[in-house]
Order: sequence, then structure tokens, then C-alpha cells
Amino acid sequence: MAVQSDIVDDAGPYDRAKALSAFKLGDVTFYWITRISAISVLLILGGIILSLIVGAFPAMKEFGFAFLWTQRWAPSADPPVLGALGPMYGTLVTSFIAMLIAIPVGLGIAIFLTELCPQWLRRPIGMAIELLAGIPSIIYGMWGFFVLGPFLANTFQPFMIKIFDGVPVLGAIFAGPPSYLSLFNAALILAIMVLPFITSISVDVFKTVPPVLKEAAYGVGCTTWEVVRSVVIPYTRVGVIGGVMLALGRALGETMAVTFIIGNSFRISSSIFAPGTTISAAIASEFAESDGLHQSGLILLGLLLFVLTFFVLAAARLMLMRLEKKAGN
Amino acid sequence: MSDLSVSMSAAGGLPQSPVLPEAPAKVTVRNLNFYYGEHHALKNINMSLGTNRVTAFIGPSGCGKSTLLRIFNRMYDLYPGQRVTGQLMLDQTNILDPKLDLNLLRARVGMVFQKPTPFPMTIYENIAFGIRLYEKISKSEMDDRVEKALRGGALWNEVKDKLNASGLSLSGGQQQRLCIARTVAVRPEVILFDEPCSALDPISTAKVEELIQELSENYTIAIVTHNMQQAARVSDKTAFMYLGELIEFDDTSKIFTSPTDRRTQDYITGRFG
Repeated sequence: MAVQSDIVDDAGPYDRAKALSAFKLGDVTFYWITRISAISVLLILGGIILSLIVGAFPAMKEFGFAFLWTQRWAPSADPPVLGALGPMYGTLVTSFIAMLIAIPVGLGIAIFLTELCPQWLRRPIGMAIELLAGIPSIIYGMWGFFVLGPFLANTFQPFMIKIFDGVPVLGAIFAGPPSYLSLFNAALILAIMVLPFITSISVDVFKTVPPVLKEAAYGVGCTTWEVVRSVVIPYTRVGVIGGVMLALGRALGETMAVTFIIGNSFRISSSIFAPGTTISAAIASEFAESDGLHQSGLILLGLLLFVLTFFVLAAARLMLMRLEKKAGN
Repeated sequence: MSDLSVSMSAAGGLPQSPVLPEAPAKVTVRNLNFYYGEHHALKNINMSLGTNRVTAFIGPSGCGKSTLLRIFNRMYDLYPGQRVTGQLMLDQTNILDPKLDLNLLRARVGMVFQKPTPFPMTIYENIAFGIRLYEKISKSEMDDRVEKALRGGALWNEVKDKLNASGLSLSGGQQQRLCIARTVAVRPEVILFDEPCSALDPISTAKVEELIQELSENYTIAIVTHNMQQAARVSDKTAFMYLGELIEFDDTSKIFTSPTDRRTQDYITGRFG
């Protein structure tokens, strides 16, 4: 007790309650600043959705649900006809092909970096991956337009067309003629662009696998491949899928690079070597010169992309939940 | 004389396992040296593991006992900068042969770790996984093998109704027995235990110790432990290591009652460690 009162005496003339109340004010301010920041996210999101709906309303009224399954895009016809099927198809196909390429390559790089790579090579490769993520998309677009497009059209495309000529289904997918501007070129560029997301996230989560768990797997006689397939990937499944989702989100919405090299054709072709368009490419290439119903149609396209992305991500989340259930957690 | 009585009480009354006749060597270590980079971690080790005997390794932390264990299945190979010299034979096989098939070696020399390490899959799959690496067998045969392994791990009665639950859903002690069952399932010749009970409660510890005794009928066992009573209870031979050297290696009863080396005596009586 005596000690207690000594301390209070030592505190001198300061009123402790008053001193504390200053902190309290700070705390309240802090609480409100964080709260407003959080709420502003909801407001911004809601505002974007609302303005998209308002902007798209004339087109929605004019075309109704037919907008979803009309392939023709003729804003200057009389009366104008606008349909979203081509851009939707292009968006989904390019993203799908991009993921088909980027997932195995990205995981492969991550596995190599964490399990197999000699120490001295780790940093150079890791830095190259990070630099890849830092390249602006316009650069990818120019490179795709001037270098990758001609290269693919002169080598890879004729090769594939020749191989699959006459094969049912595949023959139609890899049909000629070769083109500088095509869905496939866009997908390949997308794959390169999203690769860093998949790789760097996978590397991070692979590092979280406890060494003793890997040793245990090696201890029953697993090869590196078996350890990765049966222990590392199942253990890090959620993180890896998270990385893939982030990549998919980027692929669905990527605009500039795709606009450069996809050819901006609204016609749907069975061949992935034919020009096409994506939702974001269509908006980017036409929005500046549009007005009236045409512009409203483009805004409706934007709204569709929003919904499409939402559904793709929701489906991925559902798949993840199923996976977890199956694994017995 | 007073030293001796202290050592008796420190080792906990000593329900000594009877001294078995000398067994033929399963694993032979000759002039073994081990280096972590520049650090000389094991110095000139000479010893052997008797066939179907339990050999315990005791000694203060950092004395190299776990390191020695990890050489027996070449686990150190996973990490760069670690190297070994000397001779290490498993029967007629040279374990240190750089051309040796490591997967095959690890099938012959199984390992159980300090912390339970169930794989992220179902209980059934945890066992079947290891078997499948080496054998292609039918579903019904696999069921038999899984059951046998789980019985071998003294776990069958507790998990037979939930074989499809995740291995991670088991308690710590059950997980450790699952890991033992998994190791037994691939039919190794030698089983290495690296402080298998240090993360377990006393009841689970007793179960695992009992299991080790049973396993020693069919397997050659090496166990690293910090618990001297445990070494006294489960092992036939005990090796005392200190600062990377093998100080004393003898029958367990001899080590715990009349050690020859002063340092062994100090350690088992709790003077240092």
C-alpha cells in the first residue's frame, strides 16, 4: 500500500485521468478513421455498380436478354444491333487457354525454385519472375504485336494447323490461316502476364510446408515428384488456388495488351488462331468514338464483365470448399 | 558408491530389460565423421545396431545423436553443405554409396519423427500411400495391409470406424502411432525413432514405448531420446554421446548402473545436460 501511494505521490501534480482521456480521444479518432476507410470500399463498389447499371439501362431496355446471345455487333446499322456473345466468348476462351498454359508452367517454376533449384540460381530466377510482374501491360501489347504475333504466325501456327489437319474437333480448333492477331496470341500473352502471380504465391505457400513433413515423405521413400504431388500441393492447396484465382481475375480483365493483339473481331470462329475480341478489348477500342445507344451497349458489356468475374470467382470458391470436404477436413 | 545410488534414482527405479545375447550387427558404423559445412558435428563414431534389438542414443542437446540417426537413412542428403566420411553398412549395402537408390534405402530404413507428421490425406491413405510407392496390389489386399499396419501401430481399434477421416483430425498420440503404422506398412528392416515421445502426454508415451518393444521382435530399432528412463525402459543397448563423440556404448543395464566413463556417470545422474 505504501509503495502504491508513493508512486501516486511521485506522479506529481499531473492528473492521470486527464492524461488518459487524451489517449481515449486518439482511440476514438483511430476507430472512426479505420471504420470510414472500410465503409468507403463498400460505397465505392456500390457506386460503380450503380453507375454501370444507370449507364447500361438504355441498352438493356433496347436489347433485353437478346444482348447475351446475339453475335452481331453493328452499332452503325439502322436500327443498330448489339450483341455480347463474341466478346464474352473471347474473354472466357482467352482466359481459359491462358490458365491452361500458366498454371502448369507457374507451378513448375515454383516447385523448381523451392524443391530442386541450387541455391545460387534461386535469386536470379526469383527476381526475373518479379520483374515480369512489373512490366507494364502496354509493353506486353507492343511486344506481342511486333514480335510474338509474327513469330507465332510464321512458325507455331502453321505447324499446329498442319498436324491437326483433318482431325475431328482438334482440326477445327487449330484451323488456318495463320494470323498475326488471334485469340491464341492474346491468350499466350495473358499467360505470360499472369505467370508471376501464380509462381510467387505458390513459392510463398510452398515455403510454409514444415520441413519435417517433407522429410517424413522422403522417409517412406518418396521421390521429389511424389513428395510434391502428395504432400506439398495438398498441404498448400488453398494458397495455390488463391494464387490461381488472382491470376484468373487479372486475365479476365486485362485490357491493353489484349486489345493490341486480339484483332477486335466480334465474329466467333471455332479456330483459336482466328482474330476475336474480349469484353475489355471491345470497350477499350470503341469507347472513345461511341455515343448514345452504342456507348450504353459498351457500358452494359462492362457490367457483364463484372458479373462474369464475380461468377467465375464464386465458382472457384465453391470448388475449393468441395475439395476441402473431400479431403476430410 | 553414493554416485551409484543417485544414478539409480535418476533413472527411475529401472525396470531393466533383461540382457539379451549379443545379436549380429544390422547396421555397422566405422570411423564415421560428419560435417555441417565447416562444423565437425560427429567425430570418429564406431558402433553397430544389433539385429532386432533396440539401441538408444542419449546425450545433451547438440551432441549429434539426431545427426547420426539422420545419416542412417541419408536424410542429410536433402540439404546442401552437409557431408560425411567413413563407412556405414546396412547388412552388405554401403549406405554412403553416392549411387545408392535413396528411395529404396528409405524403404528399408524407416523413420519416425519428433513431431507427428501425418500427411494431409485420410487415415487410410496415409498408410496406403507408402505401400503404393513400392507395390501394385488390389483394393482388398490393400485393405488387409492397411488394417495390419494400423494394428501394428496399436491404432486399429481407435480408427477402424473413421478410416476416411483426415489424418490431421487425430490426437497427437494417435497421429504419432499413425506415423509408426505408416512406417511399418512399407516393411522396413530398420526403424529410426527421433525423440518419438517428446511431444506426447504420458499415456501416449507409454503406448508408444510398449509399441517399440513389440516392434523390436521383428525390426532393428534405433531411438534418440532425452528421457533417460525411457532409454532404460525400452532399449537393449545404450549409446551416450557428448559433443559429437561416442563416449560410451554398452548394454543398457551396464550404462545405467555402472558406467565406465566419468562423463556418462555425470550425465545420467543429472550433473549436466
